[in-house]
Amino acid sequence: MSVGPVERDDATAEFFDGAAAGRFLLQRCPAGHFSEPAATQCTTCLATDLDWVPASGGATLVSWAISWGRSSPGKEPRRTVLAIGELDEGPWWWTQLAADVVPEAAELAPGRRLRIEFQRADAEHEAVPVFVLA
Amino acid sequence: MIAGLGMTALGKVYGPTSAQFAADAVRLAVADAGLRLADVDGLLTSSGVTGGISIDLQRDLGLTDLRLLSHLQAYGSTAGAMVQFASMAVLSGMASVVACVFADSPLQPERSAGAVYGSRRAPAGWWGLLGASGVIGANPMYALAARRHMERFGTTSEQLGHIAVAQRDWAVLNPAAQLREPITLANHQASRWIVEPFHLLDCCLVSNGGIAVIVTTAERAAALAQPPVHVLGWAQSHPGRYLRRNPDFGLVSGAATAGPAALAMAGRRLSDVDVVELYDCYTFTVLLTLEDYGFCAKGEGGPFVASGVLGPDGKLPLNTGGGQLSAYYMWGMTPLSEAVIQARGSAGARQSAAHDVVLVSGNGGVLDHHSTLVLASEAGAA
Repeated sequence: MSVGPVERDDATAEFFDGAAAGRFLLQRCPAGHFSEPAATQCTTCLATDLDWVPASGGATLVSWAISWGRSSPGKEPRRTVLAIGELDEGPWWWTQLAADVVPEAAELAPGRRLRIEFQRADAEHEAVPVFVLA
Repeated sequence: MIAGLGMTALGKVYGPTSAQFAADAVRLAVADAGLRLADVDGLLTSSGVTGGISIDLQRDLGLTDLRLLSHLQAYGSTAGAMVQFASMAVLSGMASVVACVFADSPLQPERSAGAVYGSRRAPAGWWGLLGASGVIGANPMYALAARRHMERFGTTSEQLGHIAVAQRDWAVLNPAAQLREPITLANHQASRWIVEPFHLLDCCLVSNGGIAVIVTTAERAAALAQPPVHVLGWAQSHPGRYLRRNPDFGLVSGAATAGPAALAMAGRRLSDVDVVELYDCYTFTVLLTLEDYGFCAKGEGGPFVASGVLGPDGKLPLNTGGGQLSAYYMWGMTPLSEAVIQARGSAGARQSAAHDVVLVSGNGGVLDHHSTLVLASEAGAA
């Protein structure tokens, strides 16, 4: 499965600007704590003066699930691997684990290294972060 | 005290709107208690995925001069929360007869439940980004939670299947249940994948209908039509880490704090509990809540549920009506309604012989909101 269409709003404009440039932006407070992109105050020290900073793009696998589409006659159901990744900066992120072929079970284990990439549903919509196996 | 219970027809019941189901449920609950609508001086409302219920229900029911009226939303923990707030209202003298109601009507002829439950995907903003990423609705989120438990503790799909099979065995005995054909562990394993590690038979039903309860004072309840069900203890827990880094994700829920707190308020121990009615959006939710409440050690939920302890022949009467997996999906009203029926001793073929103390859970969000009630029959309250 590819990613779906999504549009920006005021809260996500800077994040999607970063995504368009291939950067996954996190929130960072003056003390250097990282918070998830949607944070409006630091999840560690509650500071509200947060800056957007690019993440390294590295992550480790926390958990995963495989979403099955409906099967139809003569067609294999489409499977999408969904994952929680712990970004190297600390925050967690939820998105699909993009792969041409669904990875074997042995490939998926907590701690497996991941990398953030970006995909778009189409040219009219925003770039969406996905995980790939690193 | 819970003095009344009203349940409309539940399941694939087409025609009434959610608001009409809600009004019917309140009328049924009032009649069940032996009261008149004019006796109701408090109303708490709760709506499901399709909305459509609000404090306008007061007007629909012609209730005048209410002393308490609010719409509550804590997802699957709302039913328990309504009973808690209603109990506080009657204890404080703010109101004397409070109706608490939930109704929903997601099922439409010719329309799949998935189309209703998947339609909350928004095209913009953070919520839209989650959907665009492929993480749409509750199934993937709970599947991610269950997989984490499996990886940490070795929990298996077969162990989850024991919960589904046991609850279906109970549903066979419940005339109000939507699914009453017995299933086997092999049926569970062969049912199609929804989101691995969940098979179809790990997932709850979708139902139309409404359920209401009447909460009143002990003095009032003593003179009414039904055996009063005492509300001995209650608690909520809202960990607040949805879509955040959360070391407890899939491993520990708010049940771990709400359960012991509610039992402490009730002055009861876990060993005093005769019947357990747990929120079961998925089999996994039951397993995790059993661990968090302390029925087994953390991480041992899998072996515990597979040990033969569940089902009508087991020694732990759990989700005795079939629950949301097999009976009807009325969010927190599903475990609450069966708890009231069991505490009254009116569950017929599925009645637990011991039913003095009944433990009830509600769970909402992705294991983000928890409510616990400790209910008791007259004997259990003594």
